[in-house]
Amino acid sequence: MTAPSPILVRRAILVGLIALWEILPRLQVVPELFLPALSKVLVVLASDWQVFGGALLVTLYEVGLAIVIACGLGITVGALVGGVASLRSLLLPVFSSLYAIPIVILYPLFTAWLGIGPQSKIVFAGLYGFFPVMLSTAAGVRVIDPQFLLAARSMGATLTQQVTRVIIPASLPTVFAGLRLGGALAIIGVVVAEMLTASAGIGYLVTLNRTILDSPRVYAAILAILLLSILYDVASRALERRVVVWQSTGRQSAPAARPVSTATPQATAA
Amino acid sequence: MQRGLQTLIRLALLALVLGLWEVLPRIGAVNPMLLPPLSDVATTLWGLLGRANVREAIAVTTLEVITAFAIAVPLGAAAGILLAENEYLGAIFKPMLFYVFSIPKSIFLPLFILAFGIGFGQKVGYAAFTTTFVVMMSATAAVESVRGDYILVARSFGATPAQIIWRIYVPCMMPVLLETLRISMIFNFTGVMIAEMYASRTGIGHLISNWGENFQLPQLFAGIIILSAVAIAFNETVRRLEARVGAWRQ
Amino acid sequence: MAAVSMNGSARAPASDIALEVRGLSHVYEAGDRAVPALQDIDMSVRAGRFIVIVGPSGCGKTSLLMMMAGLRAHSAGTLLCQGRPIPTPDPTRVGVVFQEASLFPWLTTLDNIEFPLSLRGVPAEERRRRAEAMLSLVGLKGFGARYPHELSGGMKQRVSIARGLVQDPPVLLMDEPFAALDEQTRMTMGHELLRIWSTTSKTVVFITHSLTEAVYLADEVYVMSPRPGRIIDHIEITLPRPRTYEMMATDVFGRLRERIWQQIRHAQ
Ligand SMILES: Nc1ncnc2c1ncn2[C@@H]1O[C@H](COP(=O)(O)OP(=O)(O)OP(=O)(O)O)[C@@H](O)[C@H]1O
Ligand SMILES: [Mg+2]
Repeated sequence: MTAPSPILVRRAILVGLIALWEILPRLQVVPELFLPALSKVLVVLASDWQVFGGALLVTLYEVGLAIVIACGLGITVGALVGGVASLRSLLLPVFSSLYAIPIVILYPLFTAWLGIGPQSKIVFAGLYGFFPVMLSTAAGVRVIDPQFLLAARSMGATLTQQVTRVIIPASLPTVFAGLRLGGALAIIGVVVAEMLTASAGIGYLVTLNRTILDSPRVYAAILAILLLSILYDVASRALERRVVVWQSTGRQSAPAARPVSTATPQATAA
Repeated sequence: MQRGLQTLIRLALLALVLGLWEVLPRIGAVNPMLLPPLSDVATTLWGLLGRANVREAIAVTTLEVITAFAIAVPLGAAAGILLAENEYLGAIFKPMLFYVFSIPKSIFLPLFILAFGIGFGQKVGYAAFTTTFVVMMSATAAVESVRGDYILVARSFGATPAQIIWRIYVPCMMPVLLETLRISMIFNFTGVMIAEMYASRTGIGHLISNWGENFQLPQLFAGIIILSAVAIAFNETVRRLEARVGAWRQ
Repeated sequence: MAAVSMNGSARAPASDIALEVRGLSHVYEAGDRAVPALQDIDMSVRAGRFIVIVGPSGCGKTSLLMMMAGLRAHSAGTLLCQGRPIPTPDPTRVGVVFQEASLFPWLTTLDNIEFPLSLRGVPAEERRRRAEAMLSLVGLKGFGARYPHELSGGMKQRVSIARGLVQDPPVLLMDEPFAALDEQTRMTMGHELLRIWSTTSKTVVFITHSLTEAVYLADEVYVMSPRPGRIIDHIEITLPRPRTYEMMATDVFGRLRERIWQQIRHAQ
């Protein structure tokens, strides 16, 4: 007998986990307080949908602006640092060193400066995403084959045409990888910030309900966050696949956050 | 550009930042309540290091960081090597790992509080939990960085399995392993900080969180400086080592 | 050293000269060091000829080709294409094919071939028509919608050739175009190139490290010395056309090949 296909096993594991989530609390193998049955969580999610939906909107707003900061700045600075040799040798070591700082320790500073409203979350999550996006863009820009530019020049491309017709398309995969990474990090950053100090947002609901020991609502909020980040991942991957159809291998299938090279980590922290 | 010149420019940049930090609040260009002058922060920092509760917090945090690291690294390494060496398990679990990566792991903090209560166990547990995933990913990559043909060549010269491990795997993986340790430590540190800032009665993370809430900005800045200095120092030390054992890599 | 001609064939009238190189020298300024790369190069390439340049690695072949393409300036001497200098790349006068498939991976085969046309705003319809024609010329009809990563190495180089020829330049420069291919594909591609060349009557300047390829393809072979690169031999390949694989086994072929090899060896 051959082993079942990995995809099948993966689905089975997922189904099993969902089933256990329902069964274990019902059989009182684990206490309700620790893990309420999935059905209960879903019921709460449905009945309180306005609360959770409203909180998600706040979170999405913050995430959206944080992505603009993380990706806008990250891709721009990354392209400069990666593309200009003198900037690269001057600044890349500095950025790599700064990268070791656990950025979350800056969050209290941002709340002191900007208050506990959306601003502090946006700035924190933007900064949280900035470094990895910047480093991975810098790494990506460096691998643009100089041969492409030479070929374009031999065909009479002007400087502007070299940028628009070669450099920009050649860096699209990097930019998209950066967007995906930056988005995932923005979500992580916003959720962490909301959980720490906030008065609104889906992360705030986790903390609020935890302190009043309302486990079904804690899990409902957790479920909403899980769905949000998985949806973002699936959507950004699909978009990337459509835009970067020409790539044979590599980034498009890689995870948003691969902690393997210095280019990307931090994604998973928090 | 020459190295000396670069170092000079970097030092100049640093001096500029530090100088502005001192001057701007002094001349009132920025609110000294929001950005206390550097010299005030330095004085506060010195005073803090002498205080008993701060020393205790540093000790607690250090112990948490080390314990979480000691749990996560062997666990993550074992799981990562298993996934890299066993193709079937790898095919099942690696795609799942990728998904886990884009999930904010802080949402599981409440579970650790329910399981361990607020204290050492919760903080260590959470940090170890987040770090294990990182170690797993990097360990998988580390194993996969050993090229099959090196092993084939070694075998063709009659190397024993033990020799293959010591003469091929270890030197090949050394730089990647150090990188793994370095990056895992960044995550581990972050994990402990988040856990302490979320719910804790002691630890540096708890202190800076409080200082922030009470608008004690000189203390807050002092705390940030201490933590950043420790993190950068660790990172740079391991990076030096990495460069040394990884000189053959390009 | 003066160029030697194996058979003193009659010189063509000046108007027939596609490429004219007179006393060309080049020195690279690398930081505070000066690297003399090319020294006193003289070449006179008649229109429609197939020229091959061989020489040891680092002797300046690529540099010379870059200058012919207007991609790099030279320190001294003159370089004329149909009587006029080439200060900047002009794909209507000179097409270039590089060693590595320098096709843009984000464009389909057809879009790659159209690229130089689109740079100068040729209307889409005409672009497509000309690109399609090139595609069938290089024997890739029906592969227009593929991306480069879906093509074999040989096919990629066919597309590169099509791209180099799409603006119908009288001169085609090729820098080790088949070096990355396996021996068999390489032989077929050489044969294909001769077919394309004979139907388009281009002037080709072709760089290679393979002596067999050089003799098989060329009308004339220029042999260069190690750095600084000079022309140390100029050999007329008298084999009749069309060339066939069987010719490789003949004595004449072997002797020509041997002569080139001796020149390169003794120049070391
Ligand atoms: N941009 C440059 N700056 C400085 N030196 C250069 C530059 N390009 C080439 N050189 C030097 O000029 C010499 C000739 O280089 P070139 O690439 O033209 O040789 P080549 O004959 O094409 O070699 P190969 O057969 O290996 O392709 C080499 O010594 C090379 O190091
Ligand atoms: Mg060359």
